[in-house]
Amino acid sequence: MKKILVAENLSYKINDTKLFQNLSFSLNEGAAIHILGSNGSGKTSLLKIISGLTKQTKGKIEKNYNKDICFIGHKNALKQYLTVEDNLSLLEIEAHGNLKSFLQLLGLEKLLDVMVANLSYGQQKKLALLRLFLNDSDLLVLDEPCVGLDKKSQDILCTFLSDQLIAKKALIFSSHISLDISAEVLQLDKA
Amino acid sequence: MKLLKFELLKLRKKSRGWLGPILVFVLIMTAFPLTVEILNKDIDQSFFSVLWIATLLVMMLATEDIFLEDFNDGTLEQMAIKHNSLSGVITIKIFVYWLLIGLPISLLGALYGFGITTSADLAIQLIPILMITTYIFLNVFSFGNALSLTKGSILGILITMPLVLPLLVVLGKVVIAINLGMNFLGFLFLLLGILSIIIFVLPIIISFVIKAHLE
Repeated sequence: MKKILVAENLSYKINDTKLFQNLSFSLNEGAAIHILGSNGSGKTSLLKIISGLTKQTKGKIEKNYNKDICFIGHKNALKQYLTVEDNLSLLEIEAHGNLKSFLQLLGLEKLLDVMVANLSYGQQKKLALLRLFLNDSDLLVLDEPCVGLDKKSQDILCTFLSDQLIAKKALIFSSHISLDISAEVLQLDKA
Repeated sequence: MKLLKFELLKLRKKSRGWLGPILVFVLIMTAFPLTVEILNKDIDQSFFSVLWIATLLVMMLATEDIFLEDFNDGTLEQMAIKHNSLSGVITIKIFVYWLLIGLPISLLGALYGFGITTSADLAIQLIPILMITTYIFLNVFSFGNALSLTKGSILGILITMPLVLPLLVVLGKVVIAINLGMNFLGFLFLLLGILSIIIFVLPIIISFVIKAHLE
């Protein structure tokens, strides 16, 4: 089975605070890793290292995928002063074949002309998740994807992620809310 | 082209982002002859100083949140992941700011030049000078704003202000050349030379600064 990600002896520290040390793991296609840990244990930092936004202090990380990573972080990357439709065009998914069905599924189809600033936090989160639902990346990196989502949307997310794993995509995520996905657990503890 | 379209959409819809600086420029240039009680010919002489300073201030104002909003809402994160060349994204962003703010100000500046000096030649000569100057200012102040992305724009202005002072000296020389009827093309090429270096170098430096902030 193809290894999408191989991390060897990863260490990361901010100033003098060591977040994690000598962390090694690998991620195969069609597999998922659930990162667990207390607040400040370095979950977001690890996901940012995997996404290439942050450099690890020590260790190496090998990436073996063809397309861009799909990274969904704490920030939604939405423009508050634009409508939902304009934001879809900024996310470059306005012409995607499955857009309409996902808009209906998430209850956003009647909100296309509404300014994002007028949407609730949960609706904004769902809009941001459309980038995940309509991506074709080999590696999905999600940082607390369930925050702000209602139960129905969480179920939609779980079903989608399970389908992605069947489609041989790799997933690494952190979540304090348990997701019904078969995933290996990576426990981070404060160093 | 897609990125250019997106950046245009973003700035166009955020009217305070482009209209605000233009209105401030109009206000300064309109208020200047009203508030200074001097003879017409004296206004003529001090017009250029006010024009350059107004352009400088307005470009400073225009770039105040050129990266801040994208940084805060996570757009820069996505751009850094998606686009291999973040400097290309920055170049396009600055170009869009120039298109919607720098270019109108260049034309308005020339119009005010004509209104105050009643010289059509001078107004036409002002257009390319202002077009190049506004582009240089936008690049330099964008660099300042990238440096002080999470620390407020004042720090960035303080750091980058010394960089634009030599440019003001060159602009002063341009005015002397125009007033004395000398060939000002040499100065124009000098400004173009400065711009051609800045336009390539600064976006690369800015991209490194932004990546450091994203970490």
